[in-house]
Amino acid sequence: MAGATRTPLIREDASRPEAVAGLAIAVAVALIAVGIASLFGLVGIDATLGGGSGMTAIGGVTTVTALGGLLVALGAAVIGLGVGSALGYVETEPSPNAGLVATVAFAGVWFVLGGLAASVAFDGVLAWLPAGAATGGAAFVTAAATREDVGSTLPAGAVAVVIGGTFLTGTIGPSWVWDLGFEQQASLTATFVVPAATIGCGLLAGWAAAKAYGGFGARGRRMGAYLLIYVNASAIIGVLFLLIAFTAVRGIPGLLTGATVAPGAGPTVSVLGVSVALPVSVPFVMNGVSLLNDFQGVLPAIVGTVWLVVGAVVFAVPLGVGAAVFLTEYAERGRLTQAVEIATNGLWSTPSIVFGLFGFTFLVPRFGGTKSLLSGMLTLGFMLLPLVLITSREALLAVPDEYRDASAALGVSKWHTIRSVVVPAALPGVVTGVILGVGRIAGETAPILLTMTGGTFVSGDRAADVIGGFAFTAQPPFVTNPELLRATTALPFQLYALITAGVGLGDNVSNPTEFQWATAFVLLLVVLSFYAVGIGARYYFRRRLRHE
Amino acid sequence: MSETTPTSETDRTTTEEPDRETTEEPNQTTTEEPNQTTTAESTEADDSTNATTHTTTGEADERVREEWREYEFAGKPKFAVEDLDVHYGDDHALQGVSIEIPENSVTALIGPSGCGKSTFLRCLNRMNDRIKGARVDGSVRIDGREIYQDGVNLVELRKRVGMVFQSPNPFPKSIRENVAYGPAKHGDIETGLLARLLGRSDEAARDRLVEECLRDAALWEEVNDRLEDNALGLSGGQQQRLCIARCLSVDPEVILMDEPASALDPIATARIEDLIEQLSEEYTVVIVTHNMQQAARISDQTAVFLTGGELVEYGDTDQVFEDPRSERVEDYITGKFG
Ligand SMILES: Nc1ncnc2c1ncn2[C@@H]1O[C@H](COP(=O)(O)OP(=O)(O)O)[C@@H](O)[C@H]1O
Ligand SMILES: [Mg+2]
Repeated sequence: MAGATRTPLIREDASRPEAVAGLAIAVAVALIAVGIASLFGLVGIDATLGGGSGMTAIGGVTTVTALGGLLVALGAAVIGLGVGSALGYVETEPSPNAGLVATVAFAGVWFVLGGLAASVAFDGVLAWLPAGAATGGAAFVTAAATREDVGSTLPAGAVAVVIGGTFLTGTIGPSWVWDLGFEQQASLTATFVVPAATIGCGLLAGWAAAKAYGGFGARGRRMGAYLLIYVNASAIIGVLFLLIAFTAVRGIPGLLTGATVAPGAGPTVSVLGVSVALPVSVPFVMNGVSLLNDFQGVLPAIVGTVWLVVGAVVFAVPLGVGAAVFLTEYAERGRLTQAVEIATNGLWSTPSIVFGLFGFTFLVPRFGGTKSLLSGMLTLGFMLLPLVLITSREALLAVPDEYRDASAALGVSKWHTIRSVVVPAALPGVVTGVILGVGRIAGETAPILLTMTGGTFVSGDRAADVIGGFAFTAQPPFVTNPELLRATTALPFQLYALITAGVGLGDNVSNPTEFQWATAFVLLLVVLSFYAVGIGARYYFRRRLRHE
Repeated sequence: MSETTPTSETDRTTTEEPDRETTEEPNQTTTEEPNQTTTAESTEADDSTNATTHTTTGEADERVREEWREYEFAGKPKFAVEDLDVHYGDDHALQGVSIEIPENSVTALIGPSGCGKSTFLRCLNRMNDRIKGARVDGSVRIDGREIYQDGVNLVELRKRVGMVFQSPNPFPKSIRENVAYGPAKHGDIETGLLARLLGRSDEAARDRLVEECLRDAALWEEVNDRLEDNALGLSGGQQQRLCIARCLSVDPEVILMDEPASALDPIATARIEDLIEQLSEEYTVVIVTHNMQQAARISDQTAVFLTGGELVEYGDTDQVFEDPRSERVEDYITGKFG
């Protein structure tokens, strides 16, 4: 029995087929990358290679055609690898068949492919069903009845060849449109279909090529799985970076409008009585909006957003951590803790507009009856509270009981133990929770719309000066801060107002679209810098807890 | 061997009260495990004690006799334990344990897993209070003062009766902070910001204490140049000695150790054993161990707990290991079960 799964202990040199398979994998991955880029509009599918981009090597070939050619070549290579192995030209260890999952997947892909082709060819006729069944069945039989080397390469390679062929021959060209015939306007255009099909074919053919690279069998399957996992992971990261890059590319021109670098160009800041004129001037983040400005900016919104987040964190973290300490360390596990758990989970998933309404009807009337920064802070603080509570609780529960035992065995009281051992050990987890929560509340529009924001545009001198706003009085409440009680603005709200209302666009802001993207980009930067602070704090606390 | 009394099937499920006289022998205690098999494996009972039944683990059934636990020693007892019973919910973990532990000596507690050694140890500094569902009945006196009564100051008790755990559990703090933790929390040394501002910082006193404790725990030479490093970066044996140093920092009278070397390699174990011998000159050490050679090497007297949470034999270590009075203890020591 053991001999049934024997594989050679030392693999013979198989460098040539492996090189072909490796090349095929590279082509597949490149195709997937191009597909994703083109979905984002970074590569136009009707762009003429060599035309505008300065590359003169392949003149006059559109992207679609090039993709088609590559797909056909890729498919042919994959089929070649499989057939070569089946005919014994290449040393491999294939399994008896391609496996159930691959077989079913191939059958599904070919069913869809055959059906689509038939329904486009014979419009309106019910021909797609038999056609799809025929192609799907053929793929099923191929994959199931042949050895793994043919069964997993032939159907995959054929998909790439067929789809590449339609691109190459111009059957699906840059201006191809498939009207779905729904009542509403809905159609599949080449701009979506070509990249999507390219990605799909790239995945299939790349997987098959990876299997061939591993010589099929167990090693081949592992290679195939690796390829899919790596492509998946890099695609996710790539998409994230694309999103950020997309915003950055559109936002940076607006951000840099009127920016100058010259000694004394920037506004004057005074630190500890010493006034320094900054050598850079970036009006977009240093100005507010007013008629007299040369360039308009979003300084009040940035300041508002920063204060909002700081206020919410200062409000929510002590309360949340305190409640978590009570629930994990003091309260008996029972009805009460369960009820609180359910309630906090529910609160965390409560829509933000509900928090906004709460702030509007409960907080606003209690702080002077007008929208104010303080109401916004507290509203967002209430939103942040459940997450801080949940994550702090998890973090406290994860602190090993050995620490508590060791401390108790030294005669140290419970409160001291919690303060000096348990909470410090849980801090990284708490910070993680705060990071996640800040990511949510910093971009929140609805609650601050109801509780905090005044006009769309606030002039630069009205940026909230919370620290400077504190004043001490002889009567209760002894400390007052008009800045906290005044309406102001914040980045998400400003963006929202710009997009929906277009208030004062013509007069104040010369290029509204640029202004919007720049606002979005600044919001992104502000949130990312909060992340950076949080991650730095977490790193610091972790370093203190561990020895690396 | 002749004292062993056969037990019938019918009274197997009942646990006899310690003071109930069931046989011609006065003060004889009979305790049986409720979950043991009933078949007498007479083929394994090699000698004349055909009547003795054996459990699945090969443990013989016999009645525990009071005089096996009598141990005369000169000097004061540090601990006097009387009729100690511990329940975890319905689980009877310790049954009527009575024992006196002499001062400035090493007492080893041995026995198979789950026989209640750790439970007994935790009774001595009331760490069982921290376990939900644990109920302790009986009396434990330290220097003649009852610790199971109202008004006992647990902080003071645990300062006097320190504990070292099975797996090294230093705090995730620097080595210095680990050692200074106890005294700092008890307010014996103040090094906080406020103290520094008021010019009352005891930093010098703290550093002296840290050095002294680390020296006593035989760790100073290895760590004196990296007291700021995180304690989790030490090796297992060093961590355990750090835990001993941390325990010494609050100036205890008794040190309880629960299998302190079970997670360590032979060299680290040997160092800990040397350390325990030195400590016994100043401190009363009670140590649980799985390792019988270790118990024989380092202890002055040995108490043997057997399945069911009873103290079966207690006496001078040499006597217990060379001439055990109980058949079960002999079987356990010679490795027939456990
Ligand atoms: N925290 C606890 N909760 C419930 N039962 C426990 C607990 N600790 C120990 N026990 C039970 O008490 C008995 C004795 O355990 P223990 O004192 O840890 O034995 P030993 O240390 O001799 O191995 C065992 O049956 C065990 O299951
Ligand atoms: Mg134990």
